[in-house]
Amino acid sequence: MRYRLTAMVAACSLSALLLGCYPDGPDYTEDLDIVLTNYEKTYDFKAKGTYARPDKIVKITGNLIGNDEPSYIPDKVAAPILAQIDKNMAALGWAKVELSETSSPDILLTPASWETTTIYYYYDYWYWWYGGYYPGWGYPSYPTYASSYSTGTLLMNLVDPAVVGADGNAVTQWTGAVNGILTGAYDAARVNKGVDQAFTQSPYLKTN
Amino acid sequence: MKKILFILFSVVASSAFAQSLTNVQYTMGFGSGDLGDFISKPSFRGFTVDFRKLVQPNLGVGFELGWNTFYEAKNYDTYTIGTLSVSGKQYRYNNQFPALFAVDYYFQPEEKISPFVGLGTGTMYSIRYTDMGQYTLKQDAWHFLLRPEAGIIINANPNLSFAITGKYYYGFAAGDLDAQSYFALSFGFVFKN
Repeated sequence: MRYRLTAMVAACSLSALLLGCYPDGPDYTEDLDIVLTNYEKTYDFKAKGTYARPDKIVKITGNLIGNDEPSYIPDKVAAPILAQIDKNMAALGWAKVELSETSSPDILLTPASWETTTIYYYYDYWYWWYGGYYPGWGYPSYPTYASSYSTGTLLMNLVDPAVVGADGNAVTQWTGAVNGILTGAYDAARVNKGVDQAFTQSPYLKTN
Repeated sequence: MKKILFILFSVVASSAFAQSLTNVQYTMGFGSGDLGDFISKPSFRGFTVDFRKLVQPNLGVGFELGWNTFYEAKNYDTYTIGTLSVSGKQYRYNNQFPALFAVDYYFQPEEKISPFVGLGTGTMYSIRYTDMGQYTLKQDAWHFLLRPEAGIIINANPNLSFAITGKYYYGFAAGDLDAQSYFALSFGFVFKN
């Protein structure tokens, strides 16, 4: 009986000791930052060369109704992000043009962001901008995710106005998403690093 | 996870006595094959409980239960599958829970130092988590398990000994995972009854 008790104590002590040092994972918020990119394999980016983008970044809060104009993130936050995007696009050989009646960019770059614990479907957040030029478009939907923290996501899409899917909606040719846990203060360096990484890991975007 | 392990251990500790040898060991693990590729760092978190009934003075028959967790924080990197690329830090966890029947042969059971060899077979539950950002990929499997072992028992007194054991766990491909294998080095006390 004495040895039975001793062995039980030994076993339980060992298990408690080892369970107490189960690995904890990341130490810092930045350790949870991720950058995701995806592209349409058959699309020939090399044959293109111009892009247009709005001068704001949409703040997604849910699906829009009709042609309502959405809300945006503050210009002082958006401007450096857009500049960083332009810098990366230029490094890959793209020329920025304005979207107008007279110009016809090869692709449209539609930036957006959201702050939430759940990402819902959305499809029309830039329709108010390009809808007048490309009537009839809807927008492709995205899957729904859920997480336990408040996250911030910057989304960059490249859409070719000339390529419309079978359902009549525009086909996204490239998507870059920068995602991380939100902190109290906006960290431009963290966002810029993510933007740079999105383009770095997308060398196929390089034009001739 | 911790609750399950604690219940497992309590059940083992309270039921495995009234017999001959109970070996409580601290166990280090060294991944090989797919497990070694997934996590290159050794596991320093593990334990094993072996119970053997001596059906002959030099032959023990019984069971083994154990746990090892492998963990590695990978550096920032880019992972590509098809057209999809994801960059970030990955945190990888692999927990192994072997449960098996075992037979040991003791070459010199009456000597101060008693070498032994053994063979076990049973099952091993593997559960693997790949954490990246706030997203987790979970994969698990119940493997058919083979486990050879060799070791020595140092007989300190009639009721208590020390043991050093080397084992190799090989769980055949099953469920979400390829074959999972690792070497284990264990140190512990042998309680005799």
